[in-house]
Amino acid sequence: MGTLRYIGGRLLFLVPQIFGIVLVGFLLVKAVPGDPATLMLGPMATPDSIAKLRGELGLDKPLPVQFIIYINRIAHGDFGTSWQTTQPVVEDLAVRFPATLELVSFGLLVALAIGIPLGIVSATRRHRVLARIGDFYGLVAGALPDFWLALILIYVFYSLLGWMSSPIGRIDVMLLPPRTITGFYTIDSLVEGNWPAFRSSLAHLVLPVLTLGLVNAGPILKTTQSAMERMLQADFSLYARLCGLPEKLVMRHALRNALPSIVTIVSVLYGFLIGGAVLVEIVFSWGGAGQYAVQGVLNADFNPVLGFVIFSALFSLIVYLVVDLVYLAIDPRIRQ
Amino acid sequence: MALSPNQPGGPIWSTGRRGAGGRARFALRYFIQLLRTHPVYAGGYVIVAVVAIFALAAPLVAPYSPITADPSVYLLPPSFSHLFGTDVTGMDVLSRVIFAPRIDLAIALVGTGLSAAIGTFLGALVGYHQDARGVPRFLSGFVMRSADVLQAFPVFVFAIALVAVFGQSIASVVFAIAFVNIPIYLRLMRSQVMNIRRMRYVEAAYVSGMPDSYIIRRHVVPNAIAPVLAQLSVNIGWSILLTAGLSFVGAGVRAPTPEWGSMIATGFPNIMTGQWWPSLFPGLALAVTVYGFGIIGASIEFMADPRRRRTLANAGGPIRDPGE
Amino acid sequence: MTERDRLNVTRRTVLEGAAAVAAGGVLPASFPSIAAAAEETHTMVIAAPATPQSLDHEFDVSLGTIDSVGGLYDNLLEYEKVHDPKDPEALREDISVHTDRPYNLALKGKLAEKWEVSPDGTVGRFTLRQGVKSNWANELTADDVKWTWDRKLHLNGLGPFQTGVLGITKEEQIQVDGRYVISFHVPKPNPLLLKQMVNLSNPVYDATKCKQVSSSDDPWAHKFLENNTAGFGPYVVSQLTRGQQAVFKARADYYRGKPYMDTVIFKEVPTSASRLSLLQGGSVDIAQFLQPLEYITLTKASGVKVDAVPASFAIWIELNAKIKPFDNVKVRQAMNYALPRDDVLKAVYHGLADKQTGCIPIIYPNFTDKFWTYDTNLDKAKALLTEAGFKDGFKSTLSYNAGDPVQEPIAILYQTSLRKIGVEITLNKVPAATFYDFVTKREQPMIFYLDSPWVPDPGYSTQLYFNSKSYVDYSNYVNPEVDDLIKSGLETLDPKVRDETYTRVQQLVMGDAPWGFIVWPRYVLARRANLEGFTYYTSNNLRFQDFHR
Repeated sequence: MGTLRYIGGRLLFLVPQIFGIVLVGFLLVKAVPGDPATLMLGPMATPDSIAKLRGELGLDKPLPVQFIIYINRIAHGDFGTSWQTTQPVVEDLAVRFPATLELVSFGLLVALAIGIPLGIVSATRRHRVLARIGDFYGLVAGALPDFWLALILIYVFYSLLGWMSSPIGRIDVMLLPPRTITGFYTIDSLVEGNWPAFRSSLAHLVLPVLTLGLVNAGPILKTTQSAMERMLQADFSLYARLCGLPEKLVMRHALRNALPSIVTIVSVLYGFLIGGAVLVEIVFSWGGAGQYAVQGVLNADFNPVLGFVIFSALFSLIVYLVVDLVYLAIDPRIRQ
Repeated sequence: MALSPNQPGGPIWSTGRRGAGGRARFALRYFIQLLRTHPVYAGGYVIVAVVAIFALAAPLVAPYSPITADPSVYLLPPSFSHLFGTDVTGMDVLSRVIFAPRIDLAIALVGTGLSAAIGTFLGALVGYHQDARGVPRFLSGFVMRSADVLQAFPVFVFAIALVAVFGQSIASVVFAIAFVNIPIYLRLMRSQVMNIRRMRYVEAAYVSGMPDSYIIRRHVVPNAIAPVLAQLSVNIGWSILLTAGLSFVGAGVRAPTPEWGSMIATGFPNIMTGQWWPSLFPGLALAVTVYGFGIIGASIEFMADPRRRRTLANAGGPIRDPGE
Repeated sequence: MTERDRLNVTRRTVLEGAAAVAAGGVLPASFPSIAAAAEETHTMVIAAPATPQSLDHEFDVSLGTIDSVGGLYDNLLEYEKVHDPKDPEALREDISVHTDRPYNLALKGKLAEKWEVSPDGTVGRFTLRQGVKSNWANELTADDVKWTWDRKLHLNGLGPFQTGVLGITKEEQIQVDGRYVISFHVPKPNPLLLKQMVNLSNPVYDATKCKQVSSSDDPWAHKFLENNTAGFGPYVVSQLTRGQQAVFKARADYYRGKPYMDTVIFKEVPTSASRLSLLQGGSVDIAQFLQPLEYITLTKASGVKVDAVPASFAIWIELNAKIKPFDNVKVRQAMNYALPRDDVLKAVYHGLADKQTGCIPIIYPNFTDKFWTYDTNLDKAKALLTEAGFKDGFKSTLSYNAGDPVQEPIAILYQTSLRKIGVEITLNKVPAATFYDFVTKREQPMIFYLDSPWVPDPGYSTQLYFNSKSYVDYSNYVNPEVDDLIKSGLETLDPKVRDETYTRVQQLVMGDAPWGFIVWPRYVLARRANLEGFTYYTSNNLRFQDFHR
């Protein structure tokens, strides 16, 4: 019952938070110079036609009125249209969000696969060499600019060695993407049984996922390491060892207790990378959501930016809620 | 009532007994011991020192002017006359890499400094008045919720929008960096302050009638500082990366100002045509610098953790804690 | 062997070797497509910077749109084609003045079979080809032409300019004289009357279909035409996924016969480096809008050909006549003497451009370079500045487009050169969106501009940029004598008079130096070597129907 109340409370909190985000986003986006009407019509347009278009787009009304109109529209699920793609923002995001999610999810999986084992090894300091490598890696990974690493990987694996296929896009130019079910090309092509699409989308994921994985393994490694260290030096671990429990079991318990920290960092990274993977998306021409928003800001295309901000904020907040629920599940102390 | 620094969870520097000068000397001895036993940390300080020297003495160190184009030598690979090669307008990459810290470091330091100052100040206030009633409580809530909203905003989009709003200049990049980092310090300081407030010695000070401002200044802040310093160092590195990222997207400093991110961006199209040096070297410099700051942050964390500091005392031998 | 050669050889060798390795799913899945592409020769794949935003050209001049419109819609007339004098594999429009041909133009009929202009030059009458079907199987009639032109008058997009240069302001000036006959009535004899019918901006829509899909709040089928085709061209759009690709299919019932390329896939690949690699790898037939250095790399690649033909593009710097010190003609001239054009041609364009020596495109009729004096000469620049009262130089700002990679290097080179004569300029990088805002607001002292006048006519070109009332006169240039001359040249059909008039215009404009003249970038096409038929149009677009293998 308490859990339900807790969830209810948090969900209720979402509403003013989302409102705050929309408000800040709206003000920010409106402050960016650039007139969509001029941009849409191009340099040959007459002042009359521009004025007419501004009227049509509602740009000539005072700011608070525009805001209220906007709130009203999104309350009805209408996030407007992007003047660059001439598609409704919701449709654009329906393609681009899964693209980013696919990239970020696989990237984080790789990061976890690298970061957690190395983190554990560094914490227990059993293999001195590996532990040192872990320490070093934790610091270096966080220092690498992800867009630069992407370029280096492209240069090495594509230009120099020729191992990778053309490093752009999610799927080979000549193949059509699989039918959309989840929006993840890998999953959708598997479900369809479309092997060429599956192989191609996997191949195109290799370099960007490697980039994100290598860079984000750093924070995961460091968090795992520091959490494990704390747990291994905590009283309950000492006690367990005193009682004669095998080291493996002690480690398992320590890991279980270190989980909340790891889950936290993963959730923070997840939320961050939805918008934060934009540089990698740009280098690989991924067509993701972050890229969409950045293009929106730079081209005075307001609706995509606001739509993206709202959806990614919603996503982050829901991820945090899920994480907190996971805490409730793992950590008995919180339940009281 | 004097708690020794070696008590787990206790304050780092015990209060009252020694005064500021004593504390500083104490810290310095630990610091030197740290560098001796952990050369990796020393490496980090050396890196940052070198970068700082470059920033300050760039005109003396760099072989060429970083902003004069010389089209007769464009896109030359690394050679003896141009150690890092030249870029597309013939500017020497090495010189530009050496001059870049002036911008990158300045932006990061000022930006993070601002955000740390504002964030810790607000965070201390909010943390201290957490359980109060009435107006302070409401304000605290408002500040925290605003921080939530700011943090839920995609950092990159926010930063680009801010730069687009304020126009392309160093000031707007600084402002953007400061803005996106405030919530971090706010939360950090708040949680630190909340922890420390519960300590007995703070209670004692309160009971003995000390005013809030005195308690905050004298007891709370000094003990909360170390994690903030560690975070600051890491944050500076991260801010340099953010500046570079902004320049990469085109929302950073003006051309032809040397800056690592914009150098990588300008060199990007050349990677495919085989000229790797305009992008590689600035990226390397960037990574090494951020790494240096990261190490500094790790060393501060090390120093702040009493258990770890104990290992220094044991390893080095004759550092006696004067408080014992 | 250069480093590039080494890279190419390495990659080729590895590709060939790797085909035998077949390591599961990790190796390039593009192998099947390379083999397949060789067989699917009737499919053309183009790697473009962006898919068309809107297919309604009334509101969109983006690159993707103009490439699409060229294939989807047909005009009444076209120019005859000739071979490019320097590039035997490329064709171009014959836009010269032919005094022995009717109306002095080398025209061919497209949707129009016959055309005539009345002796007094105020009525242009076109007889349409019969039996021409649209992609909705509606027959072409004069009503389609009338509806198309009425639309321009009502919609306030690009239309007003197209009708304005002809002096058409009312629907009554466009008359349906018969089922297949349409006439345009202009107030004064207008030399652009026929040329406008060739202009890419003025194709013919299928009015029958458009009227069917119109509604009361969209009476001109704008929404429909944004995403669909209703015209008489050789292609129809079969799929349009913005941000990804557009697919065009050839029409078997096109009145000139089905074009060679049955399917055209127009793929969006935002980075030029990626487009380059796609062409090198064989996945696409054409890689559009690459950087000059990338084109140079391609000239060394096998199986790829690069055509670079003189075009109607020019890139220049607007010297704002309303902002000091550019209100002083001597200062503007000095800025021209200080421009390091040869360095720009070498280091930025690598020979893929030509020095700009005039104010209308070099390929246009009545062009003359005899008034060009501004070859780089720093001493002359300094002397002029001193005469103008700026012995110690001055400070200013140069704005450039972040989205155009050539502008920053040019700006940096110019900055270094200007420093030598005491002029300190700050470089202002403007994001692509805000850039056009900056240009149209005319508040910047110096700003880059890249443009091309589509109609090959000196009157049209000068009217655009040098008529003080023109919307596109972004440099705020005002010279009443030039205004009058341009106007008079647009009101006569006599080629000799026009030649004299526009020679005088060029003399005045070159003397006034409203622009910092830089270069004429060539139109460059990077294509597979077996793809033939490239034709250059002054509208700087591709027409899919030209290509064959």
